[in-house]
Parts: sequence; C-alpha cells; structure tokens
Amino acid sequence: MLDRINQLADPIGAIIGFLLTIMVLSYIIGDNALFRLAIHIFIGVASGYAAVLILYNVIWFQVLIPVIQIFTTGKMDGLVAYALRVVPAVLLGIWMLTKASPRLARWGTPVLAFLAGVGAATVVAGAVRGTIFPQVGASVNLLNTQSAPAEISNLVGWFINGLIVLLGTVATLIYFQFGIQRQEEGVPVQRSVFMEYISTVGQGFIVVTLGVLFTGVYIAALTALIDRISFLWETILRLANI
Amino acid sequence: MTDIICPLCGKLNPPDLDECIYCQAPLKTGGFVAPSEDEDKISPILTSSEKPGEAENLVPEPKASSDLEQNIPDWLKQTEANFLDQSEAKPKETSPDELSEQIDSILTPSSAPPNPQDNAIDEEWLASLLDEAGVGMPEPPSLQEETPDETQEASLEEQEPEIYQEGSEAEVEGAAEEELALPTQPSEKPEWLKNLEASSKIKLEGELFGSEPVQYEAVVNETPEEKAQEQPPLPEWIAKPGSVEPPPSPEEPETPIAPAEIPNWLEALRPTDAVSPTGPVEDLSGADIVTAGPLAGLRGVISAHPSAIRAQKPPTYSIKLRVSDEQQARLEMMEELLADEEKPMPLPSQPIITTRNIFRLIVAVVLLLPMAWMIISGGKRTSAPQPGNIPGVVDFTQRIQLLPSGVPVLIAFDYEAGFSGELNIAITNVLTQLMNKSIYLTLVATTPSGPALAESMIKNASLSMARTPGFYSNYANLGYIPGGTMGLLGLATSPRNLLPYSLQIESVWAEAPLNAIGSIKDFSAVILITNDPDTARIWIEQIGPQLQEAGTPLLIVTSSQAEPLIRPYYESTPAQVQGMIAGLVGGVAYGRTVGNIQQNGIWDAFSVGITVSVLIILIGSIANVVVKSLPASKKKEN
Repeated sequence: MLDRINQLADPIGAIIGFLLTIMVLSYIIGDNALFRLAIHIFIGVASGYAAVLILYNVIWFQVLIPVIQIFTTGKMDGLVAYALRVVPAVLLGIWMLTKASPRLARWGTPVLAFLAGVGAATVVAGAVRGTIFPQVGASVNLLNTQSAPAEISNLVGWFINGLIVLLGTVATLIYFQFGIQRQEEGVPVQRSVFMEYISTVGQGFIVVTLGVLFTGVYIAALTALIDRISFLWETILRLANI
Repeated sequence: MTDIICPLCGKLNPPDLDECIYCQAPLKTGGFVAPSEDEDKISPILTSSEKPGEAENLVPEPKASSDLEQNIPDWLKQTEANFLDQSEAKPKETSPDELSEQIDSILTPSSAPPNPQDNAIDEEWLASLLDEAGVGMPEPPSLQEETPDETQEASLEEQEPEIYQEGSEAEVEGAAEEELALPTQPSEKPEWLKNLEASSKIKLEGELFGSEPVQYEAVVNETPEEKAQEQPPLPEWIAKPGSVEPPPSPEEPETPIAPAEIPNWLEALRPTDAVSPTGPVEDLSGADIVTAGPLAGLRGVISAHPSAIRAQKPPTYSIKLRVSDEQQARLEMMEELLADEEKPMPLPSQPIITTRNIFRLIVAVVLLLPMAWMIISGGKRTSAPQPGNIPGVVDFTQRIQLLPSGVPVLIAFDYEAGFSGELNIAITNVLTQLMNKSIYLTLVATTPSGPALAESMIKNASLSMARTPGFYSNYANLGYIPGGTMGLLGLATSPRNLLPYSLQIESVWAEAPLNAIGSIKDFSAVILITNDPDTARIWIEQIGPQLQEAGTPLLIVTSSQAEPLIRPYYESTPAQVQGMIAGLVGGVAYGRTVGNIQQNGIWDAFSVGITVSVLIILIGSIANVVVKSLPASKKKEN
C-alpha cells in the first residue's frame, strides 16, 4: 500500500504543480481569481512548511533528540556539555516569546537587545574580515606586476582590464563623495570641476552596473519561465503516456 | 495597692505611674482609682488612708471641707441630686432612647423660667466670690436689652460647668463599668457602684472635692503663687472658683484659696469673640438616635457603626447634551456619510480588451511561442557555450576534479525553489560528478526550503546516474541551520555542536569520514548553492577566512542575478571564491565539461528567448520613439 502511494505521489504532485503553474501563468491576461488563489495557497503552504520545519528540524532534532540519545545510550558525560550549550539558548528562546504579547513585550527587550548586539558584532566583524580588507587589497593589486601574465597578448588585456576596474572603482566611489569644503554664505555649493568629471564617469559605471544587474534578473526570470514551460510539457507527456 | 483607671482609655494602671502605659495619658490629674483586690470595698473616690468603715460613716454625716464647697449654689446641688436620684432609681440597663432622654434632659435647658429667687441667690453668690477675688461685679445686662434667647444662653452659661462635671463622672462610671466587667447579679449592685453612689451623696452634701485627694495631692502642695505662675491665664468663665478650683486635701489644713487675679491688660487681650464660652446650642430634638455601637443612645452624633461609613456608589448624573434640530440633522447626515464609507464599493469593471492588455498578450505570445516550440521539438540547434568563455566554470571543474575519492564535502542548499529551473542543471551535474567520485556529501541549509530541495536534488542526481543502481546513500543531510549569520559562524567554529544529528537521527559525527571534522575548514571543499547575493556574501564573510587559512576551496553555484555581485570575490587576488557557476549558461557550460549535455531543448529555448527579448526591447523602443515623434502625439502632449 505504501509503495503504491509512493508511486502515485509523483504523478499527483505533478498534476498539482501543473494546475498551480497554469493558475500563475494566467496572470498574463491580468489579475484574476485563479492567480490570487494560487498565491494564497503558496503563502499558506510556505508558512506551514516553515513552522513544521522549525519544530521538526530545530526543536526535535537539535534540542530533544540529543537528550533522548544521551539517556538511551547512557553516555552521561555529554549531558553537561549539552546542557551548557542548549539550555541557555532554550531559555533565551522562551524569554523571547514574551514579545508575542503586547502586555509582556517589553520584558523581551533584553533578549532582543542581546540578539541585536551579537548579530551586529558578527556582521561587522565578518564584513571587515571578509569584504572590506580583501576587496580593498584586491583593488590595490589590480595592476600589481607580480601577478601579471607572462604572455604579451594577455598582458595587454590584463592591463586594460585592471585599468578599467580601477577607474570604475575610483570613479564610482567619487560619485558617492559629497563632502565639500565649507563655503561663504550665499556662495553656491559646488564640487570642483575635476571631481565633477570623475563623478560623471562613475555615474556611467553605475549605469552599466545597473544594466548588468537588470540583465541578470531578467535572465533568471526568463530561465524560470522556460523551466515552467518545460515542466508543463513533460507533465503533459507523462499524463499522455499513462 | 490601688490601681488607677486611665481617664482616656479606661484601662487599669499601677498607682505609681504618672502616665497611662497604654495610651500615655496623664493619670495623676484625671485618673480614676479602681478598686483593688484588697480594697475592693473602698470607694475609688476615697483616699487610700480612709477605711471602708470610715467611708460609710461619712455618708450620713458629711462635713464641709472648705468655704468653696459651701458656696456651691443650690441649683447646682439640685441638678446633681436629681441626676443621682435618677441613676439610683434606674439601676437596670437603660435603652438607647432612655439614655438619649437623659442626655437631652441634661443638655437641654429647662423650658420653665428660672426661679427669680434662685437667680438672686446666684448673683449674690457670684458677687461674693468676685468680692473675695477683688474684682468688681460686672454690671448685669438690663432685662430690657436681653432677648429671651440671650436669657436662655445665660442660664446655659451657668449650667455648663455642672453639665461638664456630671458628664465626666458619667463617662468615668461607664468606662469603669465596661472595662472592669464585673459579673454582677441583676438584683444586686456591685460594691464599687455602691461606693460610687455613696461618694456622690457625699459630694451632694458638700464633700464633693474632699473625696479625691490623690488626684489633687500634687496640686495642693503647690502654693497659689506657683500655681498662678505655672497655669496659663484662663478665660473668666473658667476661672470661676466654683467650677475649677481644686478641693483642698482633708489631710491638710483647710486654707481658703484666693481666686486668681487676672490683670487688666490680660483681660483686655481676651478674645471674647473667638473664645465664646457659650456657643449656640443646636436643637437636637429632631436628630436621629444612635442605636448601635459605642455611641448608642446619643442623639445628633455620627454613628461609629460600620454601616454609617459604608461606601456607597456615587449617584449618576445625566450628561445628555442639548442638541438642536439643526445639529441633529447634521448628525444624521454625518452618520449616513460614515455608513456609506463602510459599505464595500465594487470597483469599476475594466474592459478586458484594452490596448494595454492587447499589447501584453502580444508580447507574451511572441515570447512564449518560440520557447515553447523549442521545448516541444526538443531540438539541439544551438551549441552549448564553451566553458572557457564562462568565468569560473573551468576553475570550478578543476577544483572538483582535484578532490580525492571519498572525502567529505559540505554542500549548502541555500536557494529558493523558484530558481530550480536555472540552477538544477548545474546542481545535477555537480552532484553527479561528486557521486562518481564517491564523495561523502554533507548537506546543510540556511533557508527553510533547503533540506527538502537537497533531498530532491540527491534523488534526481541518483536517477541521472544510469550505472549506479538505487539512490546514492553516501551523504548526510544535517538539515536547517537556524540563526542566520550567527548560525553560520557557529557552523564555521563547531559544526558538531550546531548540528549533532542528521535528519535520519544518526550521529554522523561519530562515524567516518565526519569523525575527522572539527571545524568547517576540515572539509575538503565547501560548495554553496544560492540565488541571493547577500547569502553568498555572508558565507564568504563568515566562512571564507577560515577556509582560506586552511586552503579549502569555496565554490559557488549561483543565479544570473547574483553573479555580478559575487564575481568580485572570484576575480580578486587572492581569490575569495575559487570557482563559480552562474545561471543556466554556467550550468550548461559545466555540463559540457563533464560530458553531460542533456538539456531537453532548454538551452535552445533560452537562446531563442534571449533573442526574442532583445527584439522586443529594440522594436518597442523604436516604436516608442516613432510614436512620440509623430505630429499627432505631439499635439496630444501639447
């Protein structure tokens, strides 16, 4: 019986997916009830799945199962380490639940502050170590001759590429530099002509970057559309073969 | 020993105390001597030196102790005698009404006119007292000027000291009766009460002040000059000798006490208006009688019964506004407007066939039909892209090929299901390559849909491997990592503690090859699959530094929309990302490198879709320019 259900699970799932895909694609002709129904189903399923995942994958697997394993296997030496690692997190999590009640919301502020502080420290430290220092170093080393290719043909391309990247980086950063020396009262605030030119070059790089980003988003959407068309066709073929 | 009853709280106190031990009230001046066990037959009013027999002998033969006692007016004596007679005639417990009547009879002046003979005697008595004090007799107000009320007030003025004295005695008796609570037979009077009555008779016959030597002992020892210095000047009505002057002790020689002399300047300063000795007497005949509590029987007083101070609900007052007809009409109009606002108004139905809808439909048809045709036909008209032309693909392939067989590799499925069409080809090819090398796959995810997608992709990749029967089992799905950035940092430092068990409830960290893993840098490679550039950046920032220290490659499979933001990490020197496959193009290119070019016409559809899209954008832009440049549209704009 279970094998039969497993065999039917894929066709049933394919049919449901087919119908939902048609409902979503009906947005081509404008907003309609089928499209809204599909969106509502998606939101409900996603919420339910997230809740089940948290309960199953976090509460059950990472909190309860270790305790059960410790007591069933009799390895009590791991109980202290487990308690030191999990109990504070569980207490803070329960404490955090006070935010759900408007009357008790302010009691959860310390936990939220702790969470925000630790999160900010983690993000800042990671950004400094993982993005700012390495990327500034990489920009400085763009024209480092020690990393230049040995072939002349590649050397020209390497040099031009590095020059463009260096110019784009500097020009884009200058575009976002709005600090100007204090002027006398009544004198219009304006950057120097050189800075204005560099800023315009930077603006051009930003436009190109936005175009690239838009292209990436468009290609991703187009690929998703192609994938749905392919799915519909495959489902039709499967249903026809059945 | 004889105890002293406190005049304030009525409790017994030792005789050697000057103040009450319960309420700290002075005992020597107003204390009441209670009968002790040894002296229970001695009247508390008598001195301690007197014996009971002597007290009894004093009753029929009272003697005048001083001239002042002899000078007590007859009306005062008569009033006291009447009160004592009533007390003796009614030994039983009186009802509240009877008590009230008694109090009223004392407080309310007699309605009968005073005897002129008594008034004359009183005036003579008062004149003699004032003569002895050296103060002249004030001129009596003429009868013509006095109203009947004033006359009545004057009589009350004369009776008040007596009333006060009698009332004090009654209070003391009542307090002693309640506090001692002696069990007496209804037909018999207690001894102390008989003694008290006897003393009252003595007072009636002139022994009034001679029966309390203990209380006045200290006072008698003082000379009149010292007394005059210590005592503050009293009003004239208080300074009358018959009402205030303490009686001399019978043990001491009876010396007449001169009345106090009030200087003229002090007399002139006396505030006659503020300190009025005779305030208006309120008529309490119509007031209610207290029937319960300690004030039972009193009329015109606030009852101490708890019901008298019971909290009551305050009365409610109407706050209705006076609204005119015009205001009422405006109010109704406002209510109608508000009611109309709450009614759901159906949106105006737009026509299905509009220029915008037609244009949208044309674009959809033009875009979808070629792509659908390419998929349906399954053609392979377009060649796959060269891996060397796609940045990151070659490096990615080399990193995978360099992995030894059977080593653990961490794969993070951090992409949304909507991007499966773009990433599935690359993921399937990568997993196939790893499975061919028997790599131990350790699956994690920081998105909720990650674990399910990981299982699905493992299953698809296993099916694509024709030569391997069944599903690939050399993997561990550790599930979801909560905490976002902090969860990733925890994974980098201690993956064992963060994810101790797999979704199959297996302690995978105790078995090979994960038993050799202490931190994330111990993996042979880390592959991140994501469609979000921020997720990729967080992985690079939190995981990357540790991987770089150990030389572990970080490989990324990402979407086309995230590629521009991830590429700097790949292009940098030293590289923070050692290999990258971006979008469908990268997936197809990677499939070409590994020899798997099964695309089912998707690549052709993608190529056609890109071409059609370019054409639509170009044609639309040109048409827009042309339409805007036409004279008719310029006229419309103007």
